[in-house]
Formats: sequence, structure tokens, C-alpha cells
Amino acid sequence: MRNVYAIAWREVRTYFTSPLAYVVIGVFLALSGYIFWASLVRFSQLCLRYGNSPYIFQQLNVNDLVIRPLFGSMGIIFLLMIPAITMRLLADERRSGTAELLFTCPVTSGQVVMGKFLGAAALVAVMLSVTLSYPVLILGTGAHPDMKPTLAGYFGVLLMGLTFLSIGLLISSLTENQIIAAVGAFGVLLLLWIVNWAAESAPPTLAVVLNKLSIIEHFQDFRKGVLDTEHLVFYLSAIFISLFLTQRVVESQRWR
Amino acid sequence: MIEVSGVTKLYGGRAAVDGVTFSVGKGEILGFLGPNGAGKTTTMRILTGFVPPTSGSAKVAGFDVQESPIEVKRRIGYLPEHPPLYREMLVRPFLEFVATIRGVPRRQIREKVARAIERCGLAPVAGRLIGLLSKGFQQRVGLAQAILHEPDVLILDEPTVGLDPSQIREIRQLIKTFAGNHTVILSTHILAEVTMTCDRVLIINDGKIAAEDTLEGLAARGERTRRIALRLARGGDGVEAQIRSIQGVLSVQRDDGKDWGFTVETDGARDLREEIAARAVAAGWGLLELRPITLTLEDIFIRIIRGEAA
Repeated sequence: MRNVYAIAWREVRTYFTSPLAYVVIGVFLALSGYIFWASLVRFSQLCLRYGNSPYIFQQLNVNDLVIRPLFGSMGIIFLLMIPAITMRLLADERRSGTAELLFTCPVTSGQVVMGKFLGAAALVAVMLSVTLSYPVLILGTGAHPDMKPTLAGYFGVLLMGLTFLSIGLLISSLTENQIIAAVGAFGVLLLLWIVNWAAESAPPTLAVVLNKLSIIEHFQDFRKGVLDTEHLVFYLSAIFISLFLTQRVVESQRWR
Repeated sequence: MIEVSGVTKLYGGRAAVDGVTFSVGKGEILGFLGPNGAGKTTTMRILTGFVPPTSGSAKVAGFDVQESPIEVKRRIGYLPEHPPLYREMLVRPFLEFVATIRGVPRRQIREKVARAIERCGLAPVAGRLIGLLSKGFQQRVGLAQAILHEPDVLILDEPTVGLDPSQIREIRQLIKTFAGNHTVILSTHILAEVTMTCDRVLIINDGKIAAEDTLEGLAARGERTRRIALRLARGGDGVEAQIRSIQGVLSVQRDDGKDWGFTVETDGARDLREEIAARAVAAGWGLLELRPITLTLEDIFIRIIRGEAA
């Protein structure tokens, strides 16, 4: 455990001593902040416009119109940014020769993979936790978002981000080239995102499989504030499988 | 301390290391000598558990590198050919990280890192970014990470490559200080390095051990015949014949260039310089120079690599 922690901590340190963490977090905050601001402005305009018609006014809900779209956009930003975070994790370790240090130290390949994953997870968690200020900001406008579904949504975004990370880590273990690692991770993630597009025209059993495989399908309930163990199990097992495969890949590379 | 028996490593059907067997005792410094691509690095990687051997076994401190890799890795310090450094880290945090994953107890980390920094002369750069250091300092950081947990076995792959002469001397001094308490294996293709630091030499060529000996033993290999350089002020036509007539002289050769220079090859058992000198004085050749030609390690090395010697 101490080794995992040391490797994760080194990873976090490296993120924050290089510009990487600041650029990634900065871009993420700028984009999600802009989206948040735009939907908040739109929401307040709607409120003004329909202030006289109580029926429609009743329908306007800050959770539905501001927070839920925000989570959706965060998912898309993750899809684009997480490959950039994961691309160097193992690929660079091999290219720069530091893998030779790690694997001649008394640590197991599982500990290395776990440390790398947790280090990157910490970055994503930091990134996400800064945006917790958005719902708090809404309170200042006089609207009162429902906090429980908001937190459920955050939990969902975090889980989805970690799943992206684990898949990106797996791709990063397969190559020494960071660009290939990034492009490969982006391709796989996007495919998993849209894999259910073919579901409508596919035979029923296949359609079910395609739908269940889709990373975004499992996110919808979280966005609405629903916690369903099915989705939780999906994300956790996707993370587990990816990390397990990464460990196998790392181990097998020694034999080549 | 280290026992390697019959280790073979195949890369795509080609043997990088082919049935290598040797052992190293505690406190010994073993020099690993060989041309580039001879299999030095692969052998070291097998010993450190970085790559598994195709066949054969390697043991460090009684632990098999295949069966109990963690126990082996706990006992070794390893400096690969390219120092494994995180360029974007500062020197001290990097060493603290390595200390942690090498299993140094938390309370001793600070002290051991400080000691490694001092021993490797890293104090002036301890707070600097590794990527911005000169090659010499990077090499020293690499050495510091290998020694900081005071391992029983130190494996150094070309530790002085890319250093300037004064740095090379410092690093050699440092390596020498490990003798006695630590077992050291160091690879190099610089012969002087072996002469200065090692107790025993293992010459490896084409994946096989070409020779394994002490330095004295290696030097003696060249001495089955002796060669003597002879230079005269005034020779004559009969010089070669006269010298050849001395008992024990195998051949006499006139050197090119010098007026009366000869190379005399004699039986290795006796030193014939005295008799040659007496003959030269008696004949009034005007003896200018009489000097034994010793084979340098370089010559021996090249002979062994070519498969000529022993």
C-alpha cells in the first residue's frame, strides 16, 4: 500500500510541478464555467419571460435546466481531455527508461498500475471538486437547486471520469508513443460513447448488449440524480477490468 | 552473493546471452567487459529481475530472481545504462521517492537521502530540476538512486559513460568505497576502468563468457612469450643473426623507421635482457634502449575477443 501511495503521490507531484495540471484544470474550468454561465443566463431569462404565466413558471427547474446540462457537458469535456491526461502515464515511463527503475524496485506491477491510476484520479478529483462551487454560486441567485441529485450527478461524473482514466491507462500501457496513446484512448472512449447508435437497427439481443456497453447510457440516471446499482456496477467493473488488463500487459512486456 | 548458472536469453530467436555461468562473492568488485552488444546489459537486466531469462537461473543472496523477485530487488541497487530519471522532478524529491519504493523505512528516508546526496556530491543541485542538470550530474543522480538504500549488491551499467575525466575519477573513487561491504558488478567497455576498480574481470563476447580471471591472471595470459624492444646506435649486418643465436630467443625482427630498432621475441620463462645487453656491449653496437614490451589489457582484451588467446 505504501508503494501504491508513493507512486500515486509522485504522479500528483509531477502533475503540479509541470504546467500540465494547471493547463488541464484551467481549460476544464474555463469550458465548464462558460457552459454553466450560459445556461444560467438562459435560465434567468426564461424565468423573467414566463414570470407571468404560473403554469410554465412551475415547470422551470434549476436542476433540469442548469445542472443537468452541465454534467452532460462535463462528460464530453472528459472524453476530450482524459486521453491527454492518461497518454503519458505508462507510455512515457517506458520511453524515458524510468520503467527500468520501477520494475527493478521491490514493487509489483499491480502496485505500479494502481499508483498510476490513483495519481491521475486525484487530478480528476481536484478538477471536479473545484466545480462544486457552481451549484453553490446558484444559491446566490436566489434559486434553490436540489443538492442531493446534484451530488448524485457529481458522483456519476466522477465514476465516468475514472472509467475513462482506466481505459486510457490501458491504452497507454500498449505503446511507447504518447500520441498513439492519446489518439487510441480517444478512439476507444468515443466508440464506447456512441456504441449504442447502432442499437435501434440491430437485432434485439445485440441491441441490449450495445446499449449496456455504452458508457453514456449508464450516466443518464446519475444526471437525473438517480443512484442505480446497475450503473455503479457497470462503471466499477469497467475500471476493474481495465486495470486488470493493464497489469497483464505490463507484466507481459517484460517477457518480450 | 550472486550465482548465475546457464542463463540464456533469446530475443526473437537470437541469443543475446548464451549459457552464461559465473558467481560473485561478497564484497567483490566484478568488472563486466565486452564490446557493445555483447550481452552485458541483458545479463544485468536478468540479475535485477527486469527481464526474465529464457532458461537458466540467477540467484542473488540466495534468492532466485524468478521465484522471489521482490526479495532480490530489495537487496540490489541498479544503475541502468541510461539513468532512469524523472526529468520533471527535483533531485531531492526524486531520491525520496526512490527511497520509499526501495523500501527504506519512513524514519530513515531523510537521513539516507542526505547521505546519498553527500556521497555523490549532489549538494549544490539538490533543489534543482533533474531535466536541467548536466549529463555528469544526471549520472550522479542515477548513482545516488542506486546506492541510497545501501544495497548488498550494486549493479552499475556503464557508470562513467558521458562524464568528464575528473568526474570519472570521482565516480571510480566512490565505487571503490563500496568494496568490502557491498558486492559490485560494473560493466564497461573502457579497460582502464576495470584496471582501476575491479578485483576480477569477466570478458563477455557474443553472449558468451570469453574469459574470467583476476587482473593479474589476465595479464599473465599474454606472457607465454616475452617481447623486448632493442635499439642500437651502430648496428651491423650480423646483429640479427647474433641475437638469434642466444638461447631462448625465438625471433628477431627489424623495426621499420628506426635505424637500428629490433623487436626480440623470447621464451616467456626467462628474462634474456641481461644476455642481450652483454652481447651488445661486447660487440660495441652502442646499446641505446632495452625495454620489455608488456601486453596492455587492451591487447589481451582484443585477443580474447578475437578468440586468439589462452
